[in-house]
This record gives sequence, structure tokens and C-alpha cells, in this order.
Amino acid sequence: MMLFMLLLPAIVMFAVSFIKNKQAKWLLPISSIFILLPIIQLFLLDKPYLFANDYLLADKLNTFILLVSSIVGIGVTLALLTLSRRVSISKRAYRRFYRSFAIFWVGLILSILSNHMGVYWIGLELATLATVYMIKTNNTPAARKEAWNYMIVGAISVSLILFGIILMYASAKPALAEQAMRFDLLIFEAERIPSPFLFEIGFSIATIGMFVKMGFFPMSLWLPNIERASFYPVAALFSGILESAVIIGFFRLSKIMMLVNYTHLFWFVFIYALLTIFIVSLLIFKAKDFMRLFSLSGIEHMALIVIFWVSGGTFAALLHLGAHAFLKPALFLSTGVLESGGRYQFAGTLKGYTGAKAKLFALMVSLLLLGVISVPPSPMFFSELSGFASMLETAQQSHYMLAMIGAIVLLLIFLSIIFYRFINIFQSMKYEGEAQVKTVYVNELLVLIIFAASLLLLLTPLSLDYLRSIQ
Amino acid sequence: MIDLFIGLFLATLIVELFASRLYQLIFWYSANSLFLGLLALWMGRQLNDNAMLITGILTILLKAISIPFLLRFLAQKHQFSRQIKSEIKLHYAIILIPVILVFTFYLAEPLSHKIGTNANYVAISISSLFLSLLMMVQHKGIAPKIIGFLSLENTLFLLGMTATEGMPMLVELGIFFDLLMAIVVINLLFHKEDSE
Repeated sequence: MMLFMLLLPAIVMFAVSFIKNKQAKWLLPISSIFILLPIIQLFLLDKPYLFANDYLLADKLNTFILLVSSIVGIGVTLALLTLSRRVSISKRAYRRFYRSFAIFWVGLILSILSNHMGVYWIGLELATLATVYMIKTNNTPAARKEAWNYMIVGAISVSLILFGIILMYASAKPALAEQAMRFDLLIFEAERIPSPFLFEIGFSIATIGMFVKMGFFPMSLWLPNIERASFYPVAALFSGILESAVIIGFFRLSKIMMLVNYTHLFWFVFIYALLTIFIVSLLIFKAKDFMRLFSLSGIEHMALIVIFWVSGGTFAALLHLGAHAFLKPALFLSTGVLESGGRYQFAGTLKGYTGAKAKLFALMVSLLLLGVISVPPSPMFFSELSGFASMLETAQQSHYMLAMIGAIVLLLIFLSIIFYRFINIFQSMKYEGEAQVKTVYVNELLVLIIFAASLLLLLTPLSLDYLRSIQ
Repeated sequence: MIDLFIGLFLATLIVELFASRLYQLIFWYSANSLFLGLLALWMGRQLNDNAMLITGILTILLKAISIPFLLRFLAQKHQFSRQIKSEIKLHYAIILIPVILVFTFYLAEPLSHKIGTNANYVAISISSLFLSLLMMVQHKGIAPKIIGFLSLENTLFLLGMTATEGMPMLVELGIFFDLLMAIVVINLLFHKEDSE
């Protein structure tokens, strides 16, 4: 019943997408709001709560991620109401976009709530395939090319994940039989896995697959290119929902890996993530449009989350994840207005807003832009402070003090490059270029208000206590 | 018998890499899937595993018969070029493929000791994975890339069968469902291109 309730909004969305009536599109955001009801119910239940024959599990971690993803989903459905006024899209393609979105959502709900490596993979693959068509909705040669690219790279990354899952399953099967796919049992039995070496190999391959999917080194360009070529709501869905669903797999598997061999996990993830942030900071410095800028910044934040998580900073990683999941889709959705004067232009994009609605929009975009580079009181400022503290704390209890200090210094250098570039762009948006009159629709403003309110809620003592209680 | 099926699986995959015509490629993909299905049936019978038997039947019905038929239909409908041009020259491919095979056996060596049964089969699965990736990389055309992707699914299936003596039924059915979904998406991508 719980699973049905969670999937119902997506099923309704799928069904409504077949209705050709013009008014039907209003039903889509309304139906998406109803996902909050079963999520509230999940929050109230004792955890861990197993359901759907133990294939799915609701614990504090994934209930939080599901809530964040659902709010992003609601925001995107609201933004989609005026998509046709911003871009050229046929009615048929619009309906198909929603159909793909519904399948995407089903896949990600399954992945986020999965207690089974196989179900996690199936959900992720379903979402990947659904996304291909969403990219293709933009009827341009670049979008067509990128849809195929996504199909190929996405297929390779999910295949690597499945490859890793099979090896991990093989490593634990002698002890757990068919239950060796269950995350909860694997964590419980982690120290008794008969072939830890095989598990490590499987974990490394699956992690590379997940990292490729999130645009980590060496595949740091494919994701920005795809997001540039597709409509802006697709990029919002990628950064707010898809990446959260991918990273929850990493969270689950790395918890097991911490018990199998923490040293290997530490070096593998740190080197990979630092290399990614280094490359991405250089690419951000050269970025010439909003979509690529936000996309690259998304990769940087996911790498930071991974570092905090592996350093034992669960609270910092989750706070950062929540903040990023609200900030980045809000910025991606605002590109519909920001790029109304041209794609490759930063100068003057914060000028030309007349009327209270438009001025409020510009103010919110400015605050969100500063928030994403961790200017206080952005939740990212607190999460980064807490993350660095966790890194030092972990170093004190281990032999990695020098490595950790080195990592922090490198991170600060890379982050300062990114900070400088964002401030530079912000100043150009505000003080350079000609003012062009921009139209802001009510739903676009409402989306930003929803995301800003969610960010504020994230900083309430109740939310922070909840995040601290997640192990 | 298992050795024979796995050997034929690998052989057909290598032949796929040298195919120069589209229908030829589809035929060898179909043969590759057929040997995979027969292997699943044989292993399922040996292990008395009904789930693997169902998987074997589904593999033959879907991958060896339906998908190749559908690919031929799509190729005719959208008038794909029948000529397949590889980016890697034939004489380099002849060197590269044995290198991949030897390398993966070497790579899989430490893994082989950890998996009690069918150690060589795991090595073959890994080498098949690399060969499928090579097929996706070496062609510029979309059709061979799709077949590379489908062959990649086959190799993962082989790994699942040989390394774990069968994945849970739910996962295998899920993989089949995703494969069908992939075919639908591929069709949609071509369809749109057509109507534009």
C-alpha cells in the first residue's frame, strides 16, 4: 500500500500526459504535490521500516533524500507550466516529456527506497532510459546528438554499476545466499564477507559507474554538454533528483566498504574526488554560459559531499546534499529567464527587471547564486565548515593527519578559484551590459519561493537535529 | 557442454567486431544471445534452478529472436546504412582483440581464486565486457553502438550466471524489462528524427 501511495502521483502524471485537453497540464503539478502525503507518513513511522517484501526500506537517510527529491519534483512540475513560453516545444513533445518524467520519477523512488542492490540498479536504469527522451524533446541537432551520447555513456555507467553489483553479490553469496543483495544484511555481515577482496573490486567498479554518472573525472564534460543541449528543467531534474538517487547508492555501499577496508576506501575516494574538483574548478573558470557553469558547479558539490561522507561527516554531507538539491534546480530553472536575452551572455542578466514580481525574482536569483558558493547564511557555508571539521576529527583518530591537511589546503585553493569566478560572473550580471526587459511568470517566482523556503526549513533546529541523528 | 557454449558466445562476439554489414552484425548478435540462452538452460538444468531456466527461455525468445527481428525492422523503416565502418583498422583490431583477451585473463587472475566455481568463465565474462565496450567505441554509426550496448547486457548476464550461479529472479526480470524499455527509447529516438 505504501509503495502504491508513493508511486500514485507518478502514475497519475503518466495517465494525464495522454489527455490532449489544454487544461490537463494544470493537473500535473497538483498530482505531484500528493507525493508529500505518503512521505509525511514515512517520517512518522518507526524506522527502519521494511516494506514490499523487504525489497524497499525507509530509514532516516532515504526518507530525507526522498523528501528533498520530491520537493524538487514538485518545483519542476510547476516550472514546466510555462516551458512552452520560454522554448519552442510541440504539444505532443510536451506530453511525452511528462510521460518520461513520470517513468523517471518511478525509477528514482525505487532507487532511493531500495534495500536491494538489484532494485537500486533497476530503478536507476529505468530513470536513465526515461531521461534520454527528455533530452531529445529539445528539437535541435545538438540535443539529438547529446541524447544518443547520454544513451551510450549512461548505458556504460549503469553497466559498470551492475558489473560491480554482481561481483559484490558473488563475494557475499556464500554467507548470505540470495539475501546477499540486501543493503541492511550486508552492513550487518560486512566483517564476515567471505571474499572481501572481491567485494572491494566490485565496489570500485560500481563506484566508478556512479561517479561517471555524476560527471566525475575523467567524464567531467559529458554532463554539462548534455544539460546545455536539453531544456533547462532536465538539468534541474538531474541535479536535484537523479544525482541524489545515484549518491544514495554510494552512501549505502560505502557504509559497507568502511567496515570491509576503510583505508582503501579513503584513498580511492579522496584521490578521485580531489582530481575531479581540480578539473572542474579549471572548467568553471572557463565557463561561458549559465547551464555549463551550474552543471560544473554541481559536479564540484557532489565531489565535496562524497569527501565529507567518507571522512565520517554524515551530517555535513547530508546538509550539503539537501542544500545543493534545492539551490541548483532553482538556479537551473531560473535560466529560462536569465538566458532570455541570449545563451552565451552573463553581462546584464540581473538588469531589466521591472515590477515587484520581477524584482523579487532578481533578488532571489542573486541570493541563490551567492548561496551556491557558500556565502553565509547559506546552508552550504555551515555544511562546509562542519565537513572540514569532520575531516580533521577523522584525521586525529587515524594516521592520515598530513594527508587530510593537504586535502583541505587543496580543496580551499580549488574552492577559492570557483568562488572568484562566481563573484566575477555575479558582478558582470549586476553591473555590466545593457538592461533588457525580462518577463517573469508567477509560477517561476513561486518555484524560487518554494526552494528558498525549503532552504530556510533546512536550517531550522528540527531539521538539523534530524540530520544529526542519521548514522 | 558449458565450455562449448561459452566458447561459442565469445567467438560470436569476436565475429561481431569484424562484421562489415548491418544484417550480418544483427545475425551474430542473435547467435551470441542464442548461445547465452542455451548456456542458461544448460546451467539451470544442472543446478536444478527454475529461475535460470526461465531466464534462458526469455533470453532466447527476446534477445535471440524478437530483438534482432525488431532491429531489422527498424533498420528497414529508417533506412539505416547497411555498410558498417569501423574506426579501428582491421589489422589493428586483429592485434587488439587477443591483447584484450590475454589482459583480462591476467586481470581476472586474482579474482579467479576468490570465486570457487567457473573461474575461467568469469575471466571470459570480463573480456567479453571489454570487447562489447570496444564495439561501442570503434563505430561511429548508431546501429553498431546499439548492438554494442545489447552485447554489453549479454556479457553482464554471462557474468551474473557464471560468478554467482544466477542472480535473483527479480533482478533478471528487471534487466529484461529495462532492455525492452531501452528498445522502446531507441525506437522513439529514431522515430522523432524521422518526423522532423
